Amino acid sequence: MVELIILISFMAGLLAFFIPKVYGRQLLVVIGVIHLFLSISLWVKRPEAIFKAYFAVTAEGMLSLIVISLLFFLISIYSVSYLEKAEIQSERIFIGSMLIFLSTMTMVTLSDHIIVMWIAIEATTLASAPLIYTYRTAEALEATWKYVVVCSVGIAMALLGSVLLRVAMDAGHIDAPASFSGMTAVAKSMDPRWLKAGFVFILVGYGTKMGLAPMHTWMPDAYSEAPSPASALLSGVLINCAYLGIFKTNQIMHAAGLGDFSGKILMIFGLISILAAATFILKQTEYKRLLAYSSIENMGIVAFGTGIGGIGAYGAMICLIHHSLIKSSLFLTSGNIMQGYGCKIIENIGELVSRMPRTFVAFFGGFIAITGFPPFGMFIGEMLIIIGAFRTGHQLEAVIFMISICVIFAGLANQIMKISFAETKTKHRIHVPKNMLWPQYVLLLTSVVLSFWMPETLYETIVVAVNSIGGGF
Amino acid sequence: MIGPLDTILSLVLLSILFSFGTSLLPGLIKVLAFQGVIVSIVPLLLGHEMATGEIVFTLITMVIRGVIIPLCIYLAIKKVAIRREVEPIIGFNASILIGLILIAAATLVSRNFVVPSISDSALLLSTTITLLVGGMFLLIARRNAIAMVLGYIMMENGIYLAGTTFSIHSRHIVEFGILLDVLAAVMIMAIILQNIKHTFDDMDTALLRTLKE
Repeated sequence: MVELIILISFMAGLLAFFIPKVYGRQLLVVIGVIHLFLSISLWVKRPEAIFKAYFAVTAEGMLSLIVISLLFFLISIYSVSYLEKAEIQSERIFIGSMLIFLSTMTMVTLSDHIIVMWIAIEATTLASAPLIYTYRTAEALEATWKYVVVCSVGIAMALLGSVLLRVAMDAGHIDAPASFSGMTAVAKSMDPRWLKAGFVFILVGYGTKMGLAPMHTWMPDAYSEAPSPASALLSGVLINCAYLGIFKTNQIMHAAGLGDFSGKILMIFGLISILAAATFILKQTEYKRLLAYSSIENMGIVAFGTGIGGIGAYGAMICLIHHSLIKSSLFLTSGNIMQGYGCKIIENIGELVSRMPRTFVAFFGGFIAITGFPPFGMFIGEMLIIIGAFRTGHQLEAVIFMISICVIFAGLANQIMKISFAETKTKHRIHVPKNMLWPQYVLLLTSVVLSFWMPETLYETIVVAVNSIGGGF
Repeated sequence: MIGPLDTILSLVLLSILFSFGTSLLPGLIKVLAFQGVIVSIVPLLLGHEMATGEIVFTLITMVIRGVIIPLCIYLAIKKVAIRREVEPIIGFNASILIGLILIAAATLVSRNFVVPSISDSALLLSTTITLLVGGMFLLIARRNAIAMVLGYIMMENGIYLAGTTFSIHSRHIVEFGILLDVLAAVMIMAIILQNIKHTFDDMDTALLRTLKE
């Protein structure tokens, strides 16, 4: 049952390479529906995996899985309309890769064995590489090259880290399965020196994929060159998958009593990422790159919050979920702008408010949400992280955090205002199909609803997840 | 006393030095193929009892690391350009010197660590470290895109060596998954390489710099 979700989307992906593109588009939506249905039933029934040594249903995995399912379902509907308008040479490859990408990401959320986790995360890199190269331009090629090389080398570090975790077990003379749950159970008797080394390598490795500075260099390129539905998937859920690897290793660290060590390193990487985003976001000239730097900022926030622990770790989890919802909606909206104006440069775009009013609502709403204004969830998450930082006596870090967020808001606001209200050459109103609008509205609305009312089961699952890394109230 | 394991590990170290000093791509690919073969037969010499399945797996690894992956890259360059320079950023003599320093440093560093499962080999840990850092060095110090892929493969060789020898917990089905991922990664890189050549009419990664910040 559990493995079925992975298998179905994988088989569908293989199938999509061979069937005509009209059916391929339908297949995308059908799989989106099936995947969402299976995830919900997984959430309700919580079955056990067939291959227990490799897969398991965990609280943090369920959270990521439901986000992936919801996002993919909405993105698949958007994609159908998007693909009708976009001129993509090899649509079959695009659709097939999307589905295989979905399958590999699902595998990440369900894997329990440390090496299977690595295999799945590396597979996400490989499955998403063709997506970035969809437009076949020189820039897209460069972005793909950078993405594959930087991520593969980065993730190789994580593999080394995983090997070191196994060494930590041998050095402690314990024989347990090399799975996250198995290691967490015996963490106390693992050799702390090897464990620390393993954590650092895994953090650097998966951190590359997550977009933590200074390993973030591939991210703006990949996000800006990929077609918008693919960027939405990359930014919305791929990041969560990479974070999941770090999260689960952090669980082992906490179980071994090394939570302070891992927390400190996470905070440092988090702050560096936020600072890097604040520095570079000010001089961006393309809106998709702007959004990519905002993702780097948000991942910094998540890492920082996780590092603080306590209430901050809870805030980080909230930020992670809402970032997925909001950022993917923003990337989808940027696809509308891209198709409407036919340009990525901010200077050439303007008066979005009158040319594409409904797109404007989604875009501006997304901007308000991602910069952390109420009533959206990012506000709650960031607030909790700041409170957590002060409570644990990290005043200086909290101040740096707040100033950087203000700078990033200013940088984003400046450019978003230009897109929305500056003068433009385009005189007529641009038509946007309905299916390229309501998915974004649904995503933003979900974020609003979740910040006022959260289903009991969702809240409990988040608490269970963050408790294992020393979080909670 | 020098056992068979340390003997072939010294061959790996030599192959690293060779790769630093090679100026032509076909030569570099051959060195890496040799290295792949040697690295994959190391598990046979560890002195553990091995079941038939494990021996078969080791042989498959050897074929993939030593033949298929190098062949992939060789065919990629054969289609687009034969006999190309690796275009060093750091010169060959300097590279070899750095390689020697690297080996010495890795040996010194490895004395401080005790890996429980490999007490009988003096070179295993230092070879692993040298492979890892050496691969990174190739990635940084060569501008040619193919040389960068080869650097990545060298790093992977190092991790494979670590994975199969440092721990008794390795599972073959899992190791095979890693191998498939690496193979797929190299194939995708080879496809991108062909496209780079097609688009830019060259494989110099210095051309890939329109996207910045």
